[in-house]
Amino acid sequence: MVSKNCVAMILAGGQGSRLGALTKNVAKPAVPFGGKYRIIDFPLSNCVHSGIDTVGVLTQYEPLELNTYIGNGNPWDLDRSHGGAYVLPPYQSGESGEWYKGTANAIYQNLGFLEGFNPKNVLILSGDHIYKMHYGEMLKAHMESGAAATIAVMPVPWEEASRFGIMNTDESGQIVEFEEKPAEPKSNLASMGIYIFKYDVLKKYLTDDERDASSSNDFGKNIIPKMLADGEKMMSYRFEGYWKDVGTIQSLWEANMDLIDDPPKFDLNDRSWIIYSRNYALMPHFMGDTAEVTRSTVTEGCSIEGKIDHSVIFSGVKVGRGAVIRDSVIMPGAVIGKGAVIEKSVIGPKAVIGAEAKVGVNHESEDNPYNSKYCTHGIVLIEGGAEVADGADIRKGSMVQIED
Amino acid sequence: MRHDTMGIILTGDEKIAPLTDIRANSALPIAGRYRIIDFVLSNMANAGIVNVGVATESNYSSLMDHIKSGKPWDLDRKKQGLNILPPNLEKQQFGVIKGNIDLLAGISDYIHRSNQTYVILSLGNMVYNMDLDAVVNAHIENQADITAVYKDLKGVDESDLTRFTLLELDEDKRVKDIEVQPYYPKTTNASMEIYVMEKALLESIVDECSARGDSDFVKDAIIKKMGGMRIFGYEFTGTFYKVDSMKSYYKTSMDFLNAEYREELFNSERPIYTKTKDQSPTKYGEEAICTNSFVSDGCVIEGTVINSILSRGVKIAKGAVVQNSIIMQDSVIEEGVELNHVVFDKEVCITSGRKLIGQESYPLAISKGTKI
Repeated sequence: MVSKNCVAMILAGGQGSRLGALTKNVAKPAVPFGGKYRIIDFPLSNCVHSGIDTVGVLTQYEPLELNTYIGNGNPWDLDRSHGGAYVLPPYQSGESGEWYKGTANAIYQNLGFLEGFNPKNVLILSGDHIYKMHYGEMLKAHMESGAAATIAVMPVPWEEASRFGIMNTDESGQIVEFEEKPAEPKSNLASMGIYIFKYDVLKKYLTDDERDASSSNDFGKNIIPKMLADGEKMMSYRFEGYWKDVGTIQSLWEANMDLIDDPPKFDLNDRSWIIYSRNYALMPHFMGDTAEVTRSTVTEGCSIEGKIDHSVIFSGVKVGRGAVIRDSVIMPGAVIGKGAVIEKSVIGPKAVIGAEAKVGVNHESEDNPYNSKYCTHGIVLIEGGAEVADGADIRKGSMVQIED
Repeated sequence: MRHDTMGIILTGDEKIAPLTDIRANSALPIAGRYRIIDFVLSNMANAGIVNVGVATESNYSSLMDHIKSGKPWDLDRKKQGLNILPPNLEKQQFGVIKGNIDLLAGISDYIHRSNQTYVILSLGNMVYNMDLDAVVNAHIENQADITAVYKDLKGVDESDLTRFTLLELDEDKRVKDIEVQPYYPKTTNASMEIYVMEKALLESIVDECSARGDSDFVKDAIIKKMGGMRIFGYEFTGTFYKVDSMKSYYKTSMDFLNAEYREELFNSERPIYTKTKDQSPTKYGEEAICTNSFVSDGCVIEGTVINSILSRGVKIAKGAVVQNSIIMQDSVIEEGVELNHVVFDKEVCITSGRKLIGQESYPLAISKGTKI
């Protein structure tokens, strides 16, 4: 078999529990984003644009929807004869077999998969970030430096640096120290969770790590510090562009809002770097006689009769006459009833908002039964498939879930 | 799966200038993100047909580019699937295509090789959403030699009827007489030019007609042989358009703004598939106004759009007003432009402040890539 220069592994097994009801039945990478995408479309599309044609997607939590979505990889041009997209769930073998214990263990359990392609380098990605990045350039820098590992970093505001894994580097960009969430950061270069390893080095460290019973089998906590301690050459690769971790409801909402700024903070209408997604046979969207849409995006299959400002409307959404939507994210297939008013909310897929209902309009209150720690900044989250009754009043900061 | 039936799509050459200067009419963009042929292809795919031949006549590179492997219709199969069949001039009489028999003769090897019992013939420039599986079932049940699908165009202008082949039927729906585009129509049953028959019958008709120098499937074969054959009509009651002129193209397109037609033609039971372009969602600006319009992905709308159909990637700048118009892919309408009743092919650019006005009965059509 022809060996590959670089194989990508996307860690897509996480639950993303801080997304509350949005990830009750789907893994975080399968959460809808940006009108017609899912979060995993971003790393997958980046791979294809970077010339990486072999991608393993490691799934674990609620994998059904994600597996179906990825399918044979065709939407990303990853249906290849040699390589392509592979969904890699944990599996039983011989006498062993267990769940992925951590990020490093997930890759360790799939060394057999990697071995089949005999790659020179392995690119480790996470399935929960929104960004456009040319991994090929990072790979080139990695190979030219001869580093055992290269880690993508980006400058973050100093006051936020203590929330990240911070890389302290010398003038050449070589990493001299790694600090996870330091109280007093010495640098503002945060790790983006994007690593390229020489395959043989990765294999050795993963195997050693697996033997260490005290390890939590995590790249950030165990593998990277161990390699640094051993004096392996670790380089940073600086990325300057839009990058967003959409791990919370607030950051997911914010990242969607970033798309509709003028000019957008993050531009999806970029024909030189198309974000691919699985397309469904939906007709163009229809704007009715009473539609009023400004500062928003609308996509295929929608039918709009209400008023929408500063919002992201996903595919197949129906907005009734007289409805008003502001500063909101309306996910695929949701139905907004006549005269409903929605402000600063995330409406999950196929949720139904009754006529004249108010969502996110009235102020927070302590006795609100829907108050949720996940819904910060007054954002409201309605779970996918949930129904909000006609005329209901869902206050700011609520999370409405389907009752089990 | 309908393993017993193959589909043959004849892509005609009716000209709709200037839109067909660069493409076969079956490849005409319609309803924003579609090409006309998507309808018949999707109908066949939805009926479970797994062997479809597209017989092309001329100007077919844009059609081939659109259909490619047949993936969107799930017709990229190991065996059979979608076959694009360029004209075979050597097999056609005198090296020219005079009628559909010549097209069929040119693909006779493909027809012969196919192992299905029945064949559905249809044209590529028809817009409809029909259960073709039921048509084949009716054909078998009637023990018909040929089943011709028709629609009763009662109430339609007589002048409009003359665009069609008309079928006179008896009470059992057997075809008594056929008139091709008659000047004085005797019936309102318009043939949709969808025919079901046994593949062997089609082969013998094509062979016989070719041998005699005949070139028209209806005039030379069906009408002449009507006496000895069981030809049945199958009534379709849904929406059906034949796109054969700028007038019919404009009318067909504008009818997509009617919810009833739109929901019938794009129903979720029998989806219409098309090639995807991975465009981002359409963006509306601060001053955008857009009503009663059908808008594809990838557009940027900052001006006013009323009663119009936009294909993918169209840009409407601030202060521009577009009404009653069809604007195809990647066209750019700059600031302050005023458009009414226009049909723009792809990549048309209208610079600031211009005004272009057509009429409903005679929309102003502009060819691909024009900059005004």
